[in-house]
Amino acid sequence: MLTKTLVILLGLIAIAVPIAASLAWLGLALQWEAGIPLWRALGDTAWQNGTDFLLVAIPMFIMLGEILLRAGITERMYEGIVKWLGWLPGGLMHSNIGSSALFAATSGSSVATAATIGTVAVPQIEKRGYNEPLFLGTIAAGGTLGILIPPSINLILYGLLTDTSVPELYLAGFIPGFLLAALFMATIIALCVIKPGWGGEPVRATWNERLHALPSLIPPIGIFVVVVGSIYAGWATPTEAASLGVVAALILAAANRKLTIPMLRAAIEGTMRTTSMIMLIILAAIFLNFVLSVIGLTSALADFVKNLGLTPFQTMLMLIAILVILGCFMETLSMLLTTAPLITPIVVALGYDPVWFGILLMVLLETALITPPIGINLYVVQGIRTNGVISDVMKGAVPFVLTMFAMIALLLAFPALALWLPGLFYG
Amino acid sequence: MFDKTLQRAHGLSKVLVWIGGTLILGSAILVTLEVFLRKLFNVSLGGADEISGYAFGVATTLGFAYALFERAHIRVDALYVFLPKSLRRVADIVGLTLLIGFAALITYNAWSLVGDTLDNGSRAITPLRTPLAIPQIPWLIGWVFFVACGLLMLIAALANLLTGRADKSDDLIGMKTLSEQIEDETV
Repeated sequence: MLTKTLVILLGLIAIAVPIAASLAWLGLALQWEAGIPLWRALGDTAWQNGTDFLLVAIPMFIMLGEILLRAGITERMYEGIVKWLGWLPGGLMHSNIGSSALFAATSGSSVATAATIGTVAVPQIEKRGYNEPLFLGTIAAGGTLGILIPPSINLILYGLLTDTSVPELYLAGFIPGFLLAALFMATIIALCVIKPGWGGEPVRATWNERLHALPSLIPPIGIFVVVVGSIYAGWATPTEAASLGVVAALILAAANRKLTIPMLRAAIEGTMRTTSMIMLIILAAIFLNFVLSVIGLTSALADFVKNLGLTPFQTMLMLIAILVILGCFMETLSMLLTTAPLITPIVVALGYDPVWFGILLMVLLETALITPPIGINLYVVQGIRTNGVISDVMKGAVPFVLTMFAMIALLLAFPALALWLPGLFYG
Repeated sequence: MFDKTLQRAHGLSKVLVWIGGTLILGSAILVTLEVFLRKLFNVSLGGADEISGYAFGVATTLGFAYALFERAHIRVDALYVFLPKSLRRVADIVGLTLLIGFAALITYNAWSLVGDTLDNGSRAITPLRTPLAIPQIPWLIGWVFFVACGLLMLIAALANLLTGRADKSDDLIGMKTLSEQIEDETV
C-alpha cells in the first residue's frame, strides 16, 4: 500500500500534473482500498473546510503582504535594511535575509515573502555583480523564514491538526526563527570570505543615512506589533489579528497616498490568484488525509514505527530523515497537512513536547521549501527572474539547506531554544 | 479558436475575483470592528466570524477560474523541461483534464449538497441561523464556472492542437514562460 501510494504520487507529479490534482487523484485512487466511495464526501469537506474561520487567516495574510508590497512599503523597507546590513561581506544578500525575516514577521506566507523580496532584489544581481545562484538562494531561503517566525499560517494549521495552542507555538517560534535568520547570514559571510568574488559590491552607508532609513522600517514593525501583539495580549485570535493587519496596512497605504482603486484591484487579483490556488491544494490534501486515515495507512505507519524497537532519540532521527526525504518530493502545505496528524501522536508518545516538535517540523518544512525537485520557493524565485534556468536557484539553495540541518541539530541538542520563551509565559 | 469566448470568460473571471476580493476586504473590516467593539465597549456584532467564513468560501471558489486562466496552479517542471514539445503538450492536456476532473467531482457533490440545503431549507446551527442557501449558491456558482472555464480551455486547446495552432494551445494551458511569470510577480 505504501509503495503504491508513493508510485502514484510521484508519477503524477513527475508528469507535471498540477499538485492539487495529484493529491486529489491519489486520494481517489486509494479510496477503493476502503471499499467505500469516499469521494462522495468531497462536497461536504469542500464546504466545511472552505468556510473555516481559522483558514480565513490565509487570504488575510496574503492580502496584507500584497497591500504592503503595492503601497511601496516593502521596497522602502528593503532599501532601509540595505543601509543597515549592506556593508557585511555578501552585501545585499544580508538584506534579502533581513527583509525576509521582517516581512515574514508581518505576513504569514513563505511564498509571499519570497515573491515580494525577490521582486525587489533580483534586479540588483547584475547591477552589483553578485554570484547569481547564491543570491537567488538567499531569496529562496529567506522566504522560508515565513513558516517559522510568527504569525505563520503553517503554525496555525499545525495547532489546529494537533490540538496545540497557537499562541504558545508563536512564542516558541520566536528564538529559533530569528536564530535561523542569523545562521543564514553567518553562512553568507563565511562563503563570501572564502570566495570574495561571490559577494558583489558592498553598500556603504553613513550613520546619518542609517538613521534616516529608520522611518521606512517602522511600518512593518508596527504591523508586526499589531498582529502578533494582539494575539499575545489575548485580544484576538490569529484570524482576527490577520484582519487587524489588513486594516492597518490599508491605513498605512492611505498615509503613503498609495491607496487607489487600481492598486486595490491589483492587490485583490494577486491575493485571490494565490488564495484560490492554495485552497484547491488544501482541499485536495484534506481529502487525501481523510482517505489515508480511513484505509488505515495512518495507523499502519504508527504501528510500524512502534515495532521497530528503537530508542526515542533514534526514532526521532529516523522521522527527521523521512521528513527530509518527503520534503524533496512534497509540497509544504500538503506535507504539513498529511504528516502532522500522523507523526505528532507518535512523537508525543515517545515523550517529546508537541510545541517543540511543532517548531522542529516547521524547520523541516522550511527545508522542504527549498529542496529540489519540489520546493515552491525555488520556483517562486525562478518565476521572478528574467532569464536562466531553475538549477541556478537549486544550486544557490544548497548552503542554506545545510544551515537548516544545523538548526535541526541545535533544536535536538537544546530543546530550550523553542521551549524557554513559552515556558516564561505559560510555565 | 474560441478566442472571443475565452476572452469573455477570462474577463468575467476577473469580475468575479474583484467581487471575491471585495468580500475579503469587507470581512477584514468587519472582523476588525468586531475586535474593537468587543475590547472597548464589550459588545459583539455577533457572527463576524461566521460571515467572514462564508465570504472566504465564496471568494475562493469565485477565484478558481481566474487562477486557471492565469495558469497559477502549481506544476512541477523538473521533468517537463526535458520533454520534447509534443510530449509537453500531452502533459498539459493530461494535467488540465485531471484538474478539471477533480473539480468536476467536487462540483457534482457540491451540487447535491446545495440541492439538499434547498430541499430542507437548512440553516446554520449558529445564533445567526443563516439560511445556508445564501452563501452556498454563489459558492456553487464558483465551482460550476471553474469547471465550465476548464472545459472551454480544454476544448479550445485541443481544437488549436488539431488544427496546427499549437502555439495558441501553449499560451492557453502550457506552463508559464518566465517572462509571463515576471509580469505577474512584479508591481
